[in-house]
Amino acid sequence: MTSALIIVLREVLEAVLIICMLLASSSALGLRFRWLPPALFAGLTGALIYALSLEDISMAFEGFGQEIVNAVILLLIMLLLLAHNFLAMREFKAPKIARLPALSLLVLSATIAMAMVREGSEIYLYVYSYGVVAGDMTSVLAGGAIGTGIGFSLGTFIYYGLRTLSARHCLLFSSIMALVIGAGMSSQAALFLAQADLVPTSEPLWDSSALVAESSLLGELLQAVIGYEASPIATQVVMFAGALLLSLAAMGIGIFSVRNISANPGAIRTHRSNE
Amino acid sequence: MTPSRQPSGNVGRKLKCQMRRLTGAALCCVAMSAQAQTPVFEIEIREHLFYPSELKIPAGQKVKLVIHNRDATPEEFESYELNREKVIIGNTQGVVFIGPLKPGEYPFFGEFNPKTAQGKVIVE
Repeated sequence: MTSALIIVLREVLEAVLIICMLLASSSALGLRFRWLPPALFAGLTGALIYALSLEDISMAFEGFGQEIVNAVILLLIMLLLLAHNFLAMREFKAPKIARLPALSLLVLSATIAMAMVREGSEIYLYVYSYGVVAGDMTSVLAGGAIGTGIGFSLGTFIYYGLRTLSARHCLLFSSIMALVIGAGMSSQAALFLAQADLVPTSEPLWDSSALVAESSLLGELLQAVIGYEASPIATQVVMFAGALLLSLAAMGIGIFSVRNISANPGAIRTHRSNE
Repeated sequence: MTPSRQPSGNVGRKLKCQMRRLTGAALCCVAMSAQAQTPVFEIEIREHLFYPSELKIPAGQKVKLVIHNRDATPEEFESYELNREKVIIGNTQGVVFIGPLKPGEYPFFGEFNPKTAQGKVIVE
């Protein structure tokens, strides 16, 4: 049961962090939650399709289909979080007057769906192979329920924590979270590519496992938040830093793009009439 | 390209770009030649156990690990120390590249059967 708990908690943690953070952003951006059910449905469907076609995916790309698909999904989520940060910073700089609702809906829904595809497929596979095939459904369900429970409690805590802040501060905190989560995902993508021998590899740069073991609870939590790796290779560090800089640039562009509007609210009229 | 017309920063950038392309090509060649001599090691999964459960590999060298899953159920080859995770569907095989690594012991386990499916890579 404990192994089911840890497996489910690990997978749920990352998805829950992203979903709750984006929900908080969504209300700060003035969007209603009507977009959520379709996004969740798309995510679940995607996860199921991914899990069911895992055999074909594994065989694709000379046996490295899993690594390539995982890396692509991770980098896609990183880019979507970057887009979120761009939108959040526009709202931060010029609240309520420079919203891009259609783009915001698209970015938020796609991020949540992709995060669910990634984590959901692994949970499905585990439940299927050890619940259905090996027939140990009781412990899988019990462990899974507790793991999901802990994950969602943490998510609720994050959501309401962010919601107690003012809309602008909520967006700022969400953006900082998205910044590090995205960079962590980029670093994880580097690892998958190294596993498939598609990027240069080297001996690990350092080993901090004595400080924080990856298998510890804190290690798992840090992995979900910043993509913590006790013994990273240089490629990971480069991809982490690259994602961080790209996202910061997107945030800068977001602020820059609305500077005139926020400096002179009257400009919104000319801005709109130009469109 | 006359230096008087073009700002020197631009020339520098172009040169840097070219250099990067060249290094990229060189890295590619190195990777390809290394792949030709990458040693291959094999592991089997039977009844949710790894055979052999201890695998010796050379230090400072990239290694190709072929994992054969002889069980009907999928297994996830996972190692925190090696930083690797890969699902291997029942009755198929999967390839994972590991290293280069410093000498030492690197435990791995089957994530779906972590209590029984355990092993380690010994780098020397």
